[in-house]
Amino acid sequence: MFKQIGAVTMMNLRSIPQRAGLSIATIISIALVTGVLLGFLAMSNGFRATLQGTGSESVAVMLRGGSQAELNSGLSSDDVRLIEDAAPGIARDAGGRPLVSGELYVIVDGIKRSSQTEANLPLRGVGERALDVREGFRIVEGRMFEPGTNELVVGAAVLREFQGFDLGETIRLGTNEWVVVGIFSTGGSVFESEIWADLAVIQNLYNRGTGVQSIRARLTSPGALEDLQAWEEDEPRLNLDIENETEFFADQAGGTAVLIEYIGWPLAIIMAIGALAGAWNTMYSSVDTRMREIATLRAIGFSGFAASVGTMVESLVLAAIGGLVGAVAVYLLFNGVSASTLGSGFTQVVFSFAVTGGSIVAGMVMAVVIGFFGGLVPAIRSAYVPLLTVHRSE
Amino acid sequence: MNDLTLIRKNLFRKKLRAILLTLSILIAFLIFGVLGAFHTVWTSGSEVAADNRLVTVNKINFTVSMPYAYWGRVQAVEGVEAAGHASWFGGYYQDPTQQVQTFAISPEAYLATYPELVFPEGQREAFIENRTCLAVGTDLASFFGWEAGDRIPLLSNIWQKTDGTSSWEFDICAIFDGREENMPANYAMFHYDYYNEALAFNQDQIGWIVTTTTDPSLNDQVAREIDAMFANSPAETETSTEAAFNEAFVNQFGNIALILLFVVGSAFTTILIIVGFTMVTAINERTGEIAVMKTLGFPAPRIFRMVLSESVLLSVIGGLLGLGLATLMINAIATVAAAFLPGLAMPLDVFVAGVIIAVILGLVTGLVPAINAQRVRIVTALGKQ
Repeated sequence: MFKQIGAVTMMNLRSIPQRAGLSIATIISIALVTGVLLGFLAMSNGFRATLQGTGSESVAVMLRGGSQAELNSGLSSDDVRLIEDAAPGIARDAGGRPLVSGELYVIVDGIKRSSQTEANLPLRGVGERALDVREGFRIVEGRMFEPGTNELVVGAAVLREFQGFDLGETIRLGTNEWVVVGIFSTGGSVFESEIWADLAVIQNLYNRGTGVQSIRARLTSPGALEDLQAWEEDEPRLNLDIENETEFFADQAGGTAVLIEYIGWPLAIIMAIGALAGAWNTMYSSVDTRMREIATLRAIGFSGFAASVGTMVESLVLAAIGGLVGAVAVYLLFNGVSASTLGSGFTQVVFSFAVTGGSIVAGMVMAVVIGFFGGLVPAIRSAYVPLLTVHRSE
Repeated sequence: MNDLTLIRKNLFRKKLRAILLTLSILIAFLIFGVLGAFHTVWTSGSEVAADNRLVTVNKINFTVSMPYAYWGRVQAVEGVEAAGHASWFGGYYQDPTQQVQTFAISPEAYLATYPELVFPEGQREAFIENRTCLAVGTDLASFFGWEAGDRIPLLSNIWQKTDGTSSWEFDICAIFDGREENMPANYAMFHYDYYNEALAFNQDQIGWIVTTTTDPSLNDQVAREIDAMFANSPAETETSTEAAFNEAFVNQFGNIALILLFVVGSAFTTILIIVGFTMVTAINERTGEIAVMKTLGFPAPRIFRMVLSESVLLSVIGGLLGLGLATLMINAIATVAAAFLPGLAMPLDVFVAGVIIAVILGLVTGLVPAINAQRVRIVTALGKQ
């Protein structure tokens, strides 16, 4: 039995070159479908990875109640002082000072390299505490800005996707010229899509007085968030939304990443139906051209089952090759490619396409499913080839 | 029996094969039609833009405000027909997830710059006269089930009133629509004064100024003059045409056109290859028959035409079915998603482009088999058997 199946299968596979045209058509069509799916998944995964890789569980982000995004929020310096003085669960440095960073978040225009059009870039006004509530910040080129001056440091991702931010360049904002004095990295997180400058200078430029938009605080432990939230609830002078920073960015990842997947999957499935029709057609022709051969095998005692397994395996092999070609092509062409889109903070988020193992598995599964359903009817048909076909002249 | 009957019989001699090929062609054109319609609605911002309308924003970024006084100065620029101003309200209804695109505007002047907005009898005047009126686009009104006469509160996720709240009460007294199908009516507008007087911060600032020029040829000159007027001030401006402004905004999301091109390109490459190879195989199977036809006196050009017609017929049938299905799908989506994607419909140019592509696809896939068929030599072909 297994010998029969093995023999028929090998015959099928060895004869594929005789049907090269249609076989290649099947492989390419399945490769393209897999490629489209993996392309969308790589976009979605890359975007999600950037936002989910940002933030720390032991940093609390505080915004004005109901404001939803740093851009919309507004808090007074009194709020900052109150939190510094009285809030529980906040870590302190060696000198006993609380690790609390009030920050401004405004938008400036950058020219996107890919489209040469203006796009929203976040300009974050930070004080000396900003680095105490962030991990992995380092200057990769140049130096940090001097407080009180019109100096900027630019995230590495901004430099990649937008022009005009190279080290030493000047940028005009309002009536002032600003100089890029450093490039910073935060290990691929979303902060790399930002531009940083001194808080007080930005407050002045944007007429914000002493107000800030968000407050970040390092917690003594991730669990201390609840103490902080409970304290805020009972503090009538404050109306804040408090989240840990990991959740804050994970929430932002949701919308866009899910949207990309919701577009990618239906497209891939519809294309898969087209490829399935193609695979079915190929296998149907494959059985058609081998009618006499199959009938001969049946006549000399091979079972119909063996004949159908042979056809099915041929279909699956073609599909798997197609899936693999698609996956390899997407990996080579797109993995690591940098792109940027408008995130939920209403500013550009730079991310890299990420072809993940999980998405390759999903793509291969889809390819094999196409191969299975494409080969099903032809396989059944090859089991029922009438023996008299042997005598039929072509 | 004429040629058409022969072509039809040939095409459907193997029914399953014909159906499968039609299906894969149908899918490609379905994708083309649906994505084409989405792309059109996505980029419609630059298509519905009036050619004499300019947008002036703060040079730093359009989210940064500018002084109220700028509006008066822009109105005085030579070549300006009308100028209105608007500010982003960041509105939501009841829950922060139910966002409502809302603008605080200078009612009369702003509407003068958007002559394509149509109001039912008397409602335009009602909106201009009534300080607490909210003018709501039809798509938005039907999404929330609002009607003229309703009183609703809208909250802002940005602005606060001096009383510490972020809620403004509005009387809906006008429901407007775009004059043409593809003009969005999924937003709401209200009086700037009503909002500005209650603001706790950022008072007397406006978001942007919309200007219409007396003639599109004056656009550049007017834009330059406006920007020069505010040069070297704390709030410098940048004036561009409405079309350019909208296009830049759409580009912020990424190169959507390129992504669509990749997808549609993949879909068409797939069918080109599948249909192409299948047609070659199908005609090869018929070599003997073609030889017989030639023996009967069918001239080679006629055979060439017949094979080519067969592949064109196949691809046009598949193409029309696909585009038809796409139209049905788009109409179904449009009724559900009117509030998010106003003006979604199957554009005629996408449909026509689809039909043209179908004919080209048929010609390309039929060419090689048709040449093969034309070249069949009676002696060799019949000798085969």
